[in-house]
Amino acid sequence: MRRILCQALLIVVLGSAIGLVVNWFSPRRIPWLRPPKMKLAANDLISLEQATVLWKSGEAIFLDARPPTAYADGHIVGALSLPIESFDVFFPKVQPRLATDMMLVLYCDGEHCDDSHRLLLKLRALGYANTRVLVNGWTRWRSAKLPTVTGEQP
Amino acid sequence: MKRLIPFLIRLLLGTVFVAAGALKALDPAAFANDVARYGMVPYPLVNLVALTLPWVELSAGALLVLGVWKRASALVIAGLNVVFLAAISVALVRGLEVCGCFGASVARKASPWSLVEDAVFLAAAAWLAWKSED
Repeated sequence: MRRILCQALLIVVLGSAIGLVVNWFSPRRIPWLRPPKMKLAANDLISLEQATVLWKSGEAIFLDARPPTAYADGHIVGALSLPIESFDVFFPKVQPRLATDMMLVLYCDGEHCDDSHRLLLKLRALGYANTRVLVNGWTRWRSAKLPTVTGEQP
Repeated sequence: MKRLIPFLIRLLLGTVFVAAGALKALDPAAFANDVARYGMVPYPLVNLVALTLPWVELSAGALLVLGVWKRASALVIAGLNVVFLAAISVALVRGLEVCGCFGASVARKASPWSLVEDAVFLAAAAWLAWKSED
């Protein structure tokens, strides 16, 4: 029994070590420790009420920061897919439909989701000043029974 | 027959874990987001879990398929399944839209079926850890 427990421990330790070493050499490397969550100022955020008003009037463009598979499984009606992990691939597709003076509403999913925060920084750096994050947007949008649709980006 | 059934279970369970581990390992950033969404790991340690867990799954699954350290690898898989059961239960209770079970590329959210699935895996792994001869 003791031998088996030692072997099991070894599997866990060696497996973990392989994971860390592979990450070191991987093009998809991520830091071992997660950087602290970005803190956004109040004027970087948008409330669900404000977002809904802008959505109904068509004054804002909604950008979905989640992975493309999540977008295909369901997204806010009219939202464009701009996954932060493949920003360079998706941005050229989305760019023709954006203007720097437009209001852009970014969302991902979950209280802990950092994707729309990171997307905000990228877009701001590119000159899109009127960009706001709808925190935990997907879950809250659905909970409020607002319109959603499935399918990949046209 | 007496040997065939444990062999088949070993093969199936091992393959499932190799696949699940590999799919997560392929996109660590996406899997880290899933881990963060569960909110069960202290935030700074999320990446560490996302980097190591898939490879533990992969290693244990591969050893099980190869028939090396059968009981120990089955034990590790059983342990992982206990963790998964706990995590999925929390996700279901909190109504989180996350699974991450087979990586983010297989978008699927945790459902009571995921619990059944994990319970079956746990039973199979525990049985292998108990019964296999080394």
